Amino acid sequence: MGDTIEARFVAETELLGLELLPGQEETLLAAYTALREMVERVGADYPFEAEPAHVFVPTPSGGGRG
Amino acid sequence: MTDTDPCFLSVAAAATLIATKQLSPVELTRAYLNRIERLNGTLHAYVRVLHDEALATARGAEAEIMAGNHRGPLHGIPIGLKDIYDTAGVATEGGSKLCLGRTPTKDANVSRLLKEAGAVLLGKLTTWEFAIGGTAFDTPFPPARNPWNIEHDPAGSSSGSGAAVAAGLCAMAMGSDTGGSIRWPAAWCGLAGLKPTYGRVSRAGIMPLSFSLDHAGPLTWTVEDAAIALQAIAAHDPSDPASANHPIPDYRAALVASDLKGVRLGVAHAMFERDCVASEEMLAAFNKSVDVLRELGASIADIELPPLALYNATAFLIARGEGFAIHEKTLRERPQDYGALARDRLTIGAYVRASDMVQATRRRLMLVEATAATMRGLDAILLPTAPDPAPRLADLAPYFGNQRPTYMRPFNLTGQPALSVCNGFDKAGLPLSLQIVGRCFDEAMVLRIGNAYERATPWRERRPPLS
Repeated sequence: MGDTIEARFVAETELLGLELLPGQEETLLAAYTALREMVERVGADYPFEAEPAHVFVPTPSGGGRG
Repeated sequence: MTDTDPCFLSVAAAATLIATKQLSPVELTRAYLNRIERLNGTLHAYVRVLHDEALATARGAEAEIMAGNHRGPLHGIPIGLKDIYDTAGVATEGGSKLCLGRTPTKDANVSRLLKEAGAVLLGKLTTWEFAIGGTAFDTPFPPARNPWNIEHDPAGSSSGSGAAVAAGLCAMAMGSDTGGSIRWPAAWCGLAGLKPTYGRVSRAGIMPLSFSLDHAGPLTWTVEDAAIALQAIAAHDPSDPASANHPIPDYRAALVASDLKGVRLGVAHAMFERDCVASEEMLAAFNKSVDVLRELGASIADIELPPLALYNATAFLIARGEGFAIHEKTLRERPQDYGALARDRLTIGAYVRASDMVQATRRRLMLVEATAATMRGLDAILLPTAPDPAPRLADLAPYFGNQRPTYMRPFNLTGQPALSVCNGFDKAGLPLSLQIVGRCFDEAMVLRIGNAYERATPWRERRPPLS
C-alpha cells in the first residue's frame, strides 16, 4: 500500500491498539483524511521556527565534533 | 398562542406577575406540565419529566412568596436542564446507554444555583449523546424535533433545550457549548442563546466533552431572560479549575439603555461572504440587522478575522483530542454501547498526535491574539450564527451532521462571550440568526446590543406553529 493515507490510517490504528467495530473503519478513514488536512492547515506558515526562543537547529549529519 | 397563555410569558414578565402575586407558580408549573404532556411525544424535548417534584417545588415557592420571601426573578419559574447537568437524586444520563440509570448524589454547581434562586425544575432535556453524538436514532432517546417544523433538525447538542424553550415547554433552559451547542439550537429554534466567557459559569457537575472549550449557558426566548439567567449562574467556583474570580455586574441594568449610541461594532464580512458563504436569506437578514443596529446609534466598521477554516481546524483538533482523553477507557471497553455518531466522533480523537495537539495549542494562542487585536477599539463583532437555517432531519450527513461549517467555534477557542439572537425567518418560516461576540467578561455589552436589537424588531411576536 506504500505511504498512502490508507496505509498510515491502518498503521496508526494498529499502533493505538484500537479495535474498530464493523463499518467503523470506512467512516474513520474519511474522518482521518479530513483530520490530517486540518493538521496541515493548523501547522502551515506557523512552524516551530516562528518562536526563535524555543528553536534549535540541528547540524548536518556527520557535522560538528568529530 | 394566546396573549393569556402563561407558557409564552417571558421569564421577566412571569417574574413580575409572580412577585406581585398575580401569577401562581403552581398554576404556571401546571400549565407547562400540561403542555409538555401534550407536545413532548412529538417534539422529544424532555427525556424525563419531574411532574410531582416540580409541583412540590412550585408549591414551596408559592408559600415562600406569599409569606413575603421572594428570592428574585427566577423564584417560581419553571425551567429545564440539559441531561448532562447533574441533579441530585434525579437520573442524569447524557443521552447514552453507557449512563442509563446513573443518578448523581450531588447537583452540578449550576443546578444548585438555580435551585437556590427558586427555579422549578420541570425535567431533564434531550441532548446529543455526551454532547457530541449528533442527531442520532441509535441512542436510548429519540432526537428532539424543531418546533418550527418537526421535519427539521433543532441542532445540538443542546437540542432539547432549544426545542423546549421555542415550543413553550419551559421558560428557560440550560445548555452547554463546546463548538456552538448553545448558540446553534438557539439559532435554528429562533431563541436567544448565550455562551458566556470561558470561566464565567462553572462546569462542575456537567458531563465534560472538552476541558478547554466547554462552556455552560442559557437558552431563552428573550435576551432579557438570558440576562436574568446569567445573573443567577455567574459565580466563581473553585471546584471548576477554569472558573474565574472576576467581578459580576448587574446584567439587567445593562439593558436599560434602549439605544446603542457610542457602541462600536465590527462586521467580519469575509467569514460569511468568502470563507463559508451564508445563504441568500441569511445574508439579507444579516444586512438588515446591521442597518437596525446603525439606526439605534451604533457605529459599524468592517473588520477581517483570520480564516474561519483555521479557527475551526484548530478547535477541532483540540476538541477531539480532549474528548478522546475523557472517553478513552469506555471507548476501548464498551464501544458497542455508544451510538455510532458519538463513537466515531470521539474515536477520531485517538489519531490526534501529541505534536498535533502542541501545534493546535500554539495556533490557538495566535488566533486569540489576532482576534483580540482585531477587536481593539470595538465593543463587539457581528456575524451570522450559522450559514443556513435548519435542514431537514432526512438531509443530515452521517458523520459530521450538517457539514457546512458554522461561525461559532472561533469563540470557543478565544473564550469570548457570544450571543445568538433571532433576526428573522426564511420563506419556509424557519428562524434566521445573528451572532454578537463581545470582549471577555463583557457579557453586559453583548446583552445590551442583543436586547436593543430585539426590542427594535418584531421577531419575538412570532411563535412556532404548534397546535
